Amino acid sequence: MGADALLKLHHLHLELPKGTALLEDVSLTVRRGDALGVVGESGSGKSLTAMSVMGLLPGLKASGSIRFEGRELLGMKDREWRRLRGAGMAMIFQDPMTAFLPVRSIGAQIDEQIRLHEPVSRREARARTVRLLGRMGVPDPEAAANRYPHQLSGGLRQRAMIAMALSCDPALLIADEPTTALDVTVQAQILTLLCEIRDSGAGVMLITHDMGVVAQTCTHVAVVYSGLVVEQGPVAAVMARPLHPYTQALLEAIPPLDGPRPDALPTIPGRPSAPEARPEGCVFAPRCRFVRPDCGVRPALREPEEGRRVACVLYDA
Amino acid sequence: MTVLLEAKNLSKHYRLSHGETLRAVSDVSLVVHRGEALALVGESGCGKSTLGRTLIGLGAPSSGEVFFEGERISGLSDRALRRWRPRMQMVFQDSSSTFNPRRTIGETLAEPMRIHGRTGIADRIAALLEQVGLSSSVLSRYPHEFSGGQRQRLNIARALMLGPDLLVADEPTSALDVSVQAQIVNLLRDLRNSLDVACVFISHDLAVVRQMADRIAVMYLGRIVEEGDVLAVLEAPAHPYTRALLDAVPRPDRPLPPPLKGDVPSPVHPPQGCAFHTRCPLAQPRCAQERPELRQVAEGRRVACHYPLL
Repeated sequence: MGADALLKLHHLHLELPKGTALLEDVSLTVRRGDALGVVGESGSGKSLTAMSVMGLLPGLKASGSIRFEGRELLGMKDREWRRLRGAGMAMIFQDPMTAFLPVRSIGAQIDEQIRLHEPVSRREARARTVRLLGRMGVPDPEAAANRYPHQLSGGLRQRAMIAMALSCDPALLIADEPTTALDVTVQAQILTLLCEIRDSGAGVMLITHDMGVVAQTCTHVAVVYSGLVVEQGPVAAVMARPLHPYTQALLEAIPPLDGPRPDALPTIPGRPSAPEARPEGCVFAPRCRFVRPDCGVRPALREPEEGRRVACVLYDA
Repeated sequence: MTVLLEAKNLSKHYRLSHGETLRAVSDVSLVVHRGEALALVGESGCGKSTLGRTLIGLGAPSSGEVFFEGERISGLSDRALRRWRPRMQMVFQDSSSTFNPRRTIGETLAEPMRIHGRTGIADRIAALLEQVGLSSSVLSRYPHEFSGGQRQRLNIARALMLGPDLLVADEPTSALDVSVQAQIVNLLRDLRNSLDVACVFISHDLAVVRQMADRIAVMYLGRIVEEGDVLAVLEAPAHPYTRALLDAVPRPDRPLPPPLKGDVPSPVHPPQGCAFHTRCPLAQPRCAQERPELRQVAEGRRVACHYPLL
């Protein structure tokens, strides 16, 4: 992909101290103004990918490369990483209730983050906090800044969380299941907000299990399964014609909202293997309907079409 | 179709500590026919779970009545209700917290039948395990040894132990991954067909509801705003709220329409008039004044809106 990459993971490998590999050979790129959706089921490693970019996994052994604005992050000192977090890249989480401190007003917490990174007065910081909350669509932002997390609804809390993440104008926003705890009508509001942030030129990395959410918000998608990227490409192309059997099965398993109602939904038999029992060959082979003898060798991520990559023997030339 | 369960003007209010009242369910009337699946749909706090529990006697209603096969079961003492309990069972969302972690699956599955003094427990367990797609080797194991999907199968098996006529399932697939969710959705559909058990299915996921239910009742702030055949309602919603819920579902095939503004108001201070008028894109002055009654707009279709889309 282009030289304007904001974030580039190259053959990122993450393992437990005792040697169990959690992520294997993950390569991803997020560009400015793009949103990359990282999709997978529980335990696929999608959140680990996000956390390793933020440097939040000190106990794990990482190798490969994570480059952010051209700078290598792996092996960086804690102090440097702290300077980057919040200012260069910021993260929002699924549950804003636990991400905010319950005993301080949300305004105070956002002010603190601003003042930690920039030499501004309390008053300037608060003015910026109020502006940010207003931009995020929080009604009466001045009053809202003085409220405590439990006094806000889930949707408003998530908006406040996003305001905090954007307070130092980061180039990259990582959102880990930002709407999973929200109702659909509120989810739609937050997704619209994420699209605006993307369009304003920031890079967005969205971690989710919901293909619909990716379709609404992202320009690119990477499908992860059992710690590996099995398919990636532009969202529209992947949704219209998924290449990897796992992506196909995942999309088919979603019940349709219109058209004829199927008697039974297509399902994926079995479940993902645990990291310590990962097959040597293709990780999806045990559940794959197209499995064949050469799946015993781990397929490389190939580029059968311009801009699309897939790790499956079906696409070996 | 024969009526299995009927609720008449059911309300459930909670008195809060500072003298206010939380109106979780207000004046709901509905019927569940024998063998049918009715979905209760809405956002958090709309009262769908409270309604589901009140229907089967988990908590007495503040007012209104519930009839099971024509006999009134609301207002009965716990002892009198015991006779009815085996007929209606509940499946909860979080399968990890509904099992006693220190008991084996075998003990847990046997419990409902032991309490009600039934015999032939082992045969019944074996038959049900087969129906939910598990082997009898699970009996000596503990809940934590199972994946979420397997635990939800066990949860369903337990609810079916006494051979109920009605199952109330509260978000039975929400905690599951998509591929596992599809398995459970299929399982519940198969079981319903083979056992002829009626199901009240509480969910916020319209796609899952469409796949599982015959009829749908959409709730907003404690009241039913629209009710009808699930395919008909989702094909052409008559209430603006149903329309908004459907539009808000992110789908691969179309961009998101402009989202509904604001949050759901508090059920402690519901708006005057139509409860939805504060967020409704089609609200007129009348909507703030006068609450629309749930009225029939077509065969089997009821809507509470002054200006329905149908």
